[in-house]
Amino acid sequence: MTPEHDALRDLLAAWAFDAVTPTEAAAVSHHLGDCPECEAEAERLRDVVRLLDDPSAEPAEPEPSDDDPLTALFAGPRPGRRRPRPAAAPVAAHAAPYAGAVAALGALLPEVYGRWGYDRWSVPVVHDWDVHATLAHLIAADEQLALALGVAARVPASPASAAAEGAAGAGWEEAWNRRTADVILHERRRSPERTRASWEAQSAALLATPEARDPERAARAVELMGLRLPVTDHFAVRAFETWIHTDDIGRALGIAVPPPPAAHLERLVRLAVRILGTALGPAAAPVRFSVTGVGEWLLGSDADPVRAELALDPVDFCLLAGGRYAPGEVPCVGTGDAGTVREVLERTAALAWL
Amino acid sequence: MVVPVDSTDTDTDTVTNTNADPNANTNRATDTELHRRLVYGDGSALAEAYTAYGTLVRRVALRVTRSPAAAEDVAQEVFAHLWTRPYAFDTGRGTLRTWLSMLAHRRAVDWVRGEARHRKDARADDTALHTIADAAPGPDETVVARERSLLLHTALAGLPERQREVVHLAYFAGRTYRQAAAELGIPEGTAKTRLRTALRTLAETLADPPDAPGETGA
Repeated sequence: MTPEHDALRDLLAAWAFDAVTPTEAAAVSHHLGDCPECEAEAERLRDVVRLLDDPSAEPAEPEPSDDDPLTALFAGPRPGRRRPRPAAAPVAAHAAPYAGAVAALGALLPEVYGRWGYDRWSVPVVHDWDVHATLAHLIAADEQLALALGVAARVPASPASAAAEGAAGAGWEEAWNRRTADVILHERRRSPERTRASWEAQSAALLATPEARDPERAARAVELMGLRLPVTDHFAVRAFETWIHTDDIGRALGIAVPPPPAAHLERLVRLAVRILGTALGPAAAPVRFSVTGVGEWLLGSDADPVRAELALDPVDFCLLAGGRYAPGEVPCVGTGDAGTVREVLERTAALAWL
Repeated sequence: MVVPVDSTDTDTDTVTNTNADPNANTNRATDTELHRRLVYGDGSALAEAYTAYGTLVRRVALRVTRSPAAAEDVAQEVFAHLWTRPYAFDTGRGTLRTWLSMLAHRRAVDWVRGEARHRKDARADDTALHTIADAAPGPDETVVARERSLLLHTALAGLPERQREVVHLAYFAGRTYRQAAAELGIPEGTAKTRLRTALRTLAETLADPPDAPGETGA
């Protein structure tokens, strides 16, 4: 047996599939005339491919039909089919990241039932929440913006919360913690399917507000959960939290959730950098801060020379700001004064948006 | 304070690529981007996927079903699946081209097997044997060839994924084994070996068919 024989024998399957170059095909043909062993093997493999082809009824190449086959996927459910998935809500650019994150979570929830045939709503996700409670938490968090935009609350206030609301001097954190606990408790008594319907209805209502479609109407500043920001930015905060929790649920279920599309991610990064700049204040040691593909900023005092440089990937930066990375663990490139770099990382992690 | 810095000289890092094949990287990057947009509900991403892979999906379905109407239904189902269950595709595990091709193939095999079962049921209370054949009923050899073809396609659908994706690229997408290797980011020798293992398995299926071909490999 020659090396040539071995090489050509290895090529026979590819040859049978017509998946070789013309030169290789010629070499195989030539060899087959001299080698009965390879000829028999080639014959056998070609027969299989011929049968796959089934030449008894070779139809013409299909012509794409005139009516758009895609429209059916977004709307009109066919009888007996699963429900269709709507495209992300058509909103202005400032609300598009939230519309996208809602679409990403909406597509993930069927997977909670979908795989391996058992219910995974009670799989632990983050903090002490399972999938069901995480979704309930999002209902509570979205509700803050919903109320500010005139969308009615979906979960009635508990008597304890209503009483505390009346009491003067209660901080937003206390009220928020009580409210999110109330909503989680309320939703736990309902089926996951109803919780999912509530979350979907509220996020759809948020995306249907005039503020989601008109950036001018969304320019006014509102204070929510201790952050005074234009409504446009609050939409970005909602996008941020929805994505982070979608990612949390994905991790819990073993499903990779891709990060938001670049344009969405960029909005989230720019907002987070602005808030980070405010948190550091004008007297902090100056840092040249860059987020790959998004931009570069000078944070801190503009009077002193730059003390350090810090570069992060946009997803890593968001995960750090979302509390999904410890400051010492996030992948980053820091040069210059190590203490200054650490300060920026710690400040980012302490934004504690979620 | 936050001062944006002019970003003309930001990209000074040298990017070292560990993957030897630039095409594989480009495919992965395109797939990753498209998949991201699908997950985040961008309808135009579905239209792009349909433009890029619709013909392949129909061709695969047509080769198996032999019915343009059925191929159309299979294509609809495949893209509906991509849209409604975008997480079913994992960019880390393969290319969108092979994933869609393999999904179309499996669905088409299911369709034909459903048809076959249906015909068998019809045959039970129908004495006219040849009414069970296709729209254009052929001689007995045609029926036998169809059955053997279905047997092979069923076996193909049951091959390990790593072998199946090379077969799909070589057989349905018309790639050479070298191109397939480049697209999948695997060595050429590996692509060649997988094709060979796959085709030999199929040949053995034919030599030694399972008892009830219509019921296996679900």
